[in-house]
Amino acid sequence: MKITDLANTLTFLCLFGAKFAVAQDISIERGEQTYMRVGCYECHGTDGKGNEAGPPLTPDTLPPEAIANFVRFSPGRMPVYPEEILSDAEIADIVAYLESVKPSPDADSIDILRALVSEEN
Amino acid sequence: MVSSPEKSKSEVGRRNFLKTAVVAGAATTLPDEVSAADSPTQAIKSDAQTKRGLAAPSTEQMNMEASTPDQLAEASSEQLASSNSADTASSFGSDFMIDVMKSLDLDYVFSNPGSSFLGLHESITVYGGNSKPEFITCMHEESAAAMANGYYKAALKPAAIMCHGTVGLQHAAMNIYNAWCDRVPLIAILGNTIDAADRMGGTTWRHSAQDPAAMVRDFTKWDDQPASLQAFAESMVRGWKISTTPPMEPIALTVDSTLQEMKVDDRDGLAIPKFTPSEPPQGERGAVRETAGLLVDAESPVIIADRLARTPEGMSLLVELAELLNAPVIDIASRQNMPTKHYLNQTRQSGRLISQADLILGLEVTDFWGQINSVNRAEMTSEPRVKEGVKLITISVNDLYMKSNYQDFQRYAPVDISISGDAEATLPVLIEEVKEAMSRSRRRTLSQKEKMFRKMHADSFEESRQLAASGWNSSPVSTARMCMELYEQIKTEDWALVSVGASERFVSSWPHRLWDIDEHYRYLGIGAGGGVGYGLPAAVGAALANKELGRFSVNIQCDGDFMYANGALWTAAHHRIPLLTVMHNNRAYAQETMLVQGTANRRKRGVDKAPIGTVIQDPNIDYAKLAEGMGVWSAGPIEDPEDLRPALIDAVKVVKSGYPALVDVVTQMR
Repeated sequence: MKITDLANTLTFLCLFGAKFAVAQDISIERGEQTYMRVGCYECHGTDGKGNEAGPPLTPDTLPPEAIANFVRFSPGRMPVYPEEILSDAEIADIVAYLESVKPSPDADSIDILRALVSEEN
Repeated sequence: MVSSPEKSKSEVGRRNFLKTAVVAGAATTLPDEVSAADSPTQAIKSDAQTKRGLAAPSTEQMNMEASTPDQLAEASSEQLASSNSADTASSFGSDFMIDVMKSLDLDYVFSNPGSSFLGLHESITVYGGNSKPEFITCMHEESAAAMANGYYKAALKPAAIMCHGTVGLQHAAMNIYNAWCDRVPLIAILGNTIDAADRMGGTTWRHSAQDPAAMVRDFTKWDDQPASLQAFAESMVRGWKISTTPPMEPIALTVDSTLQEMKVDDRDGLAIPKFTPSEPPQGERGAVRETAGLLVDAESPVIIADRLARTPEGMSLLVELAELLNAPVIDIASRQNMPTKHYLNQTRQSGRLISQADLILGLEVTDFWGQINSVNRAEMTSEPRVKEGVKLITISVNDLYMKSNYQDFQRYAPVDISISGDAEATLPVLIEEVKEAMSRSRRRTLSQKEKMFRKMHADSFEESRQLAASGWNSSPVSTARMCMELYEQIKTEDWALVSVGASERFVSSWPHRLWDIDEHYRYLGIGAGGGVGYGLPAAVGAALANKELGRFSVNIQCDGDFMYANGALWTAAHHRIPLLTVMHNNRAYAQETMLVQGTANRRKRGVDKAPIGTVIQDPNIDYAKLAEGMGVWSAGPIEDPEDLRPALIDAVKVVKSGYPALVDVVTQMR
């Protein structure tokens, strides 16, 4: 994340953070459905693990406020998601889904990827 | 010297001819050593239900293969005798054409049969013995052109395609355009009947044109329609020479059907000109010297290479230049220019390095403007990503040959020094001048950068390795898992990644991130024009070349691309071309899904409809079944990543036994 993006995010958190602080009816299942419906999976993978088109969204998923800021004002390749097409409540559901995803194994625990280290050195 | 063809020649019906061609072709294209005992089903035994075996050749096929040359000659004679016995004793124009092709050491003609080049077809298989050139049966002219494209990039030797100058060329045009954008030499032989009096009605008129090559003139380097056999010989040799001189490009030669059928009474009266390859153009020495001086003095030079390495020598030269200067290299890799594990291959750091550079040297970069600017396609804006005062230098053949209509020449890039010349041919002089300009103290200073670049390379590699683990157990299978499981099975072979379709980014560039691409032939670039339908047939053409070179060919195949030209699998099966195809089956035209969605978002009109027209679902396509239907061993569809390794192990065995194999992997989008 660029410094300008971070600044935007912090500003957004100050201004709108309270909106997300309100208790919501958050649903992991609904989050997964929304994640797929609005096409997050295209760039970030079906379980948010990322690839060259989009970075991993899990583990260490950002809070809903930060994600909302990013998708509303994305300056880069990331398509902009105005509130009309992705609400704050839907973002909260998506975050819940991403937080529920089982973590990936560590690279060193995977034989093929571990072997690369010795090949590289 | 030559006599006019007899009108009775039209009595040689296409049906009778095809019977002859089939008999002769079967005998000469199927390998003698093939037997039921070494068919793919024998080569690999597997009880997995998802794996499907290729049936052994039928008894009929085996009998056909077992025919002796005499039996085949007899069969051919019967066919010819039934049409026109007088023809069998003569030499024909098309026979001479084959002599010309043999003089150029042409190995293959990729073609789908057609009546406007019947004479040539018959001469290849019967007169020429179906060797140099051999007729490779293609199921679409677009595939034929892609196969010739892939063949060149693996063999570094041109191949020909042969098609109707009308309907066949319309099919072939897209992959001729891909070859044009990719600077690949290709000889397109176009059948035509120029003299209207020789057209026997109906189809012969629809398959004739006044100027067939006009359709591809905007993206071929040269074309001709010779009116005599002597002119054909000169045009074929000239075309070969033009096509293989940088900038290398396709050429088209229209071959009159009447000329093909002409009787040749005095073969000795026809001469085949000697082919002498042109030396590639070299950059002007003074400009090269000035460039060398600037490179030596630069504090943070960056080298960008795109189609620099025409040959393996290009890679060696680039490594030498980069090491002399300790300058990082950004490899766009339309050809493999720089070994991926070399510490100066800093491709993953391109944005940072380009923005900090005080000198950028572009070597055969088609879109140099695109390298020094960043663009926002959605907003239609751009801004420089280089710092003010940066010296920009290009060495390329871009300005030596370009055409107006198709805009593949990209946006104009203002530079400080523009050297017109083939970069690979110019590098030896540049290296010499750099050595001349480099003092000992400067060399010592520059050598101190090595440690920093080694660390940057190692850090970048480690970052990619960690990222590859993300989603390792996901279903659909991650592209990282697919690529790395594949690499694990082939890395001890003399492998070559012969195609990744239109863009390696479709699989998140994992091969260039983590594979040890240490040879020029290990990676052949992409379908440069972005025309879909390149990947599979180009892979088959390259695998044909690699079969003779003893290399293990691998193709990472996008599903959308596959459906354009899947008949190429049959060609691989029929001609026993060993090729491992791994399907990147994300069940979508994923790039377009993303773009349509981005547009819908920007217009604030929702995203629910983005999949319409961009996904390949309902029904899902069973690629393993398709492959099986064309006689190719296959496995899949694989959705559980744990099933991938055993399938790949089996597939590698099949390919090592000389056959094609396909593993269908249901994948993440990227």
